[in-house]
Amino acid sequence: MRKLVFAIVLATTLGLPVSLAQGPTESAITKVERKNRVPINNETLRVKLPKATETTLSNGLTVLVLEDHRIPRASIQFVIDGAGSLHEPADTPGLASTTAQMMREGTKTKDSSKLASEVEQLGASLASSSPFGSGAATVSAAGLSDNFDRWLALAADVLLNPAFPAAELDKLKQRLKTNLTQQRSTAAFLANERFVKAVYGSHPAAVAAPTAASIDSLTSERLAQWHRERYKPQNAILAVAGDVKASTLIPKLESALANWKKSDLKPTPLRSAVAADAKRVLLVDRPGSVQTYITMGNVAIDRRDADYYALVVANAVIGAPQVGRLYVNLRQEKGFTYAINSTFDAQKFAGPWRSASEVRTEVTDAALTEYLREIKRLNDEPVADNELEERKRAIVANFALSLENPEQVLAYAVTRKTFEFPSDYWDAYAGKIMSVTKADVQRVARKYIDPNRLQIIAVGDGSKIRGILEKYGPVQVYGIDGSLRTP
Amino acid sequence: MQIRKLVAVVALCLVAAIVASAQTIQFKDFKLRNGLRVILSEDHSAPTYSLVMTYNVGSRDERPGRTGFAHLFEHMMFEGSENVGKGEHGLSIINSGGTRNGTTNSDRTNYFETLPSNQIDLGLFLESDRMRSLVINQVNFENQRNVVQEERRRSYDNQPYGKTSEAILDTVYDSFPYKHSTIGSMEDLNAAKIEDVAAFFKTYYAPNNAVLTMVGDFKVDEVTAKIEKYFGSIPAQPAPPLVDMVEPKQSAERRRTVQDPLALVPRLSIVFKIPQGNTPDWYTLLVAGQVLSGGESSRLYQRLVKESQVATAVGAAAQDRRGPSTFTITVDLQRGKNPADAEKLIYEELEKLKNEPVTNAELEEFRIALRRNEVEQLVGTLTRAQNLGTLAVYYDDPGLINTRGQKLRTVTREQIQKTARTYFIETNRTVVLTTPVSQTPGTGGGR
Repeated sequence: MRKLVFAIVLATTLGLPVSLAQGPTESAITKVERKNRVPINNETLRVKLPKATETTLSNGLTVLVLEDHRIPRASIQFVIDGAGSLHEPADTPGLASTTAQMMREGTKTKDSSKLASEVEQLGASLASSSPFGSGAATVSAAGLSDNFDRWLALAADVLLNPAFPAAELDKLKQRLKTNLTQQRSTAAFLANERFVKAVYGSHPAAVAAPTAASIDSLTSERLAQWHRERYKPQNAILAVAGDVKASTLIPKLESALANWKKSDLKPTPLRSAVAADAKRVLLVDRPGSVQTYITMGNVAIDRRDADYYALVVANAVIGAPQVGRLYVNLRQEKGFTYAINSTFDAQKFAGPWRSASEVRTEVTDAALTEYLREIKRLNDEPVADNELEERKRAIVANFALSLENPEQVLAYAVTRKTFEFPSDYWDAYAGKIMSVTKADVQRVARKYIDPNRLQIIAVGDGSKIRGILEKYGPVQVYGIDGSLRTP
Repeated sequence: MQIRKLVAVVALCLVAAIVASAQTIQFKDFKLRNGLRVILSEDHSAPTYSLVMTYNVGSRDERPGRTGFAHLFEHMMFEGSENVGKGEHGLSIINSGGTRNGTTNSDRTNYFETLPSNQIDLGLFLESDRMRSLVINQVNFENQRNVVQEERRRSYDNQPYGKTSEAILDTVYDSFPYKHSTIGSMEDLNAAKIEDVAAFFKTYYAPNNAVLTMVGDFKVDEVTAKIEKYFGSIPAQPAPPLVDMVEPKQSAERRRTVQDPLALVPRLSIVFKIPQGNTPDWYTLLVAGQVLSGGESSRLYQRLVKESQVATAVGAAAQDRRGPSTFTITVDLQRGKNPADAEKLIYEELEKLKNEPVTNAELEEFRIALRRNEVEQLVGTLTRAQNLGTLAVYYDDPGLINTRGQKLRTVTREQIQKTARTYFIETNRTVVLTTPVSQTPGTGGGR
């Protein structure tokens, strides 16, 4: 392997074309050199997460408050289910995200610049967004606790009284259309766009960005209607963390949000996409690339699935940052990449397990080989006892660090509420992780991380990597504009 | 025995930050006999702690032909030491629930861990073992050379605007230390030799060239004893050579165009040379940057993004460098807009800053943003530990973590006007325009 590395370095230096012998290499053993002299305390510091108080306002809004008086600051976040991109009509991608962005561009009593000034005069921050792939829109604000009431009022104004001024919408459309161009210059965007289309198919989560036509079609009336119909308290959670008192906050909220009326709207439950049953290889040809951005995966599970804990552990075995098998093999042993990990996205519907990494063009083949080898190994061989114990322990021990940040602790409470888990969900979580067995890991790997059904995306210089990719299956080629070049 | 030594050490402590206020960060600051500076700050609000080892070395210490070496070396620090195997460092920390990393910039290199507070020995042992006995071998070196080259490709060569920051440094600076990027050139990374690693380690990774900071859930007295135990016997080394940071005064405007095959929209960068960090003019320029581009109510956002619509984003800030620094204005242009129009608007706004005092409301807005910032830095232990270490290495004054707020709060409207007149002038200016290489119609996407 070392000789190979030298050959590449030399060839790169001399500007020579590099071709790599791709005969079978011996099985990668993801070994770490253990001297076992490091003083590790074997007691895991088990922590009990502080519990948020939960209240339902008269308009149906759920309020979760995590009091934390250590530091004179606070943050609030409205998570409004049903107002996000996943629920928007298929012919207007960007309706939800543009509505959310426009909410900051003026209310019935304050224009865009006055609103920005008032927020900044309080030293606060205020944001509203609805990212693609989410069913919810969020309005969030943060600042000092001594002027909390004032920035809360500004957040409430943005949430309840947006004016969607036409002149501001015209300006935002111009910026959004520049962004549409801009985002196509990064391999990360191109890879994600192609990946979500590949794994989600006709599911609304397959959409990664608006189109110029859909942006052009948006009007103030259309945004106002989306806001009026979709931003409803009965479908929302307000999460508050920091130096506030729940007992005085609730009456304040009842009055600040008195005009937010409930309706009959219930977000339509989203079906789960069906996992692809055959491997596919998709190339986005980005001329001039010196790396291949590889991402691969397939639809796995929703957040309430009984396999969740086992998949958390299986994912850590293969893809935990800095210690997972992919990292140890492709970075630590081979030096193919700077960063590599894997994640999975479990929502109310099934989302994908995926891994991503950028490797220099010359090792695209070798990197794909090792990628698939590691995935196959996770399927074929039971994980070693000590490796399993270490990955589980890391997950459980890491909870202590979340206590540094009240927003992190509150995020756990929001997850519990969103998925209607029992009140002791996080108390029981560590035990569930620790009870995952190696048979569980292998079972969920075979079910959700199946090497024969992976959707493999490569963004790179097509003239150099297309032939390589053909070895892994028939290749569909796309341009950076997103259009299909080959059938 | 250990304890008695300890008392002597602690007696030499400088107890800083005596004036207490709600947000004052209390810390103890002392040196071991081998010169290792130690800064400890207790915070028992969570069962965690962060440890940062800041070395007084960065890419400014590199020599011609070896750009990128300080950062390449940083990678070698994770490859094992006498009692820690390759890969065992990260594994020990992550298996214990912690996080770790290292960063290099032009002026310092730092290594850090955040861990549950029942793992105090773990962090100290790992940092001391690699300071004492780094394992240097060819296999690990080649491996990390590859990884760093991937990092370079990922962050520069394969990214739109990736070439811009290097073009700026190369155009603005005349002297070597800041003229090159921290990531270094591919050529120099290829030229680095294993002998360089050993020499660099001996020169720069000595206890007398480092600052150990810890913030979190521990008792200062107990941790002081452990620090003595783990680090006390690591020998000091001769002080590293001083770097000549003298930068000639610029006498004429410099302009450069970067043709970027990966960019799809132009970016304009306007850079002025300014004094080093922690000087009165530098603090004043920090405030000026906030007035120009802090938030959506700021002058440049309102003028370029909202009113004239030539840009989608704009930023202006003084860089925190311990040597001759820069003030950089960056404009991401709207599709189809002329960069010259954006440039003209920027100059108009800079003239305003020279000709009219900023408003009291703008100063008040800056001050409250500053207060928020001071409060937010108390969240988590890592930021404070990193800041204490950086301030100690840059300015020999970790107490700036508490006092620099006052330096910023007392900046006056007159000072802003005066520094704008001094530095925002044509002869002190570098303009770098990054443009897409001419495209075939339709490659803009989304049309």
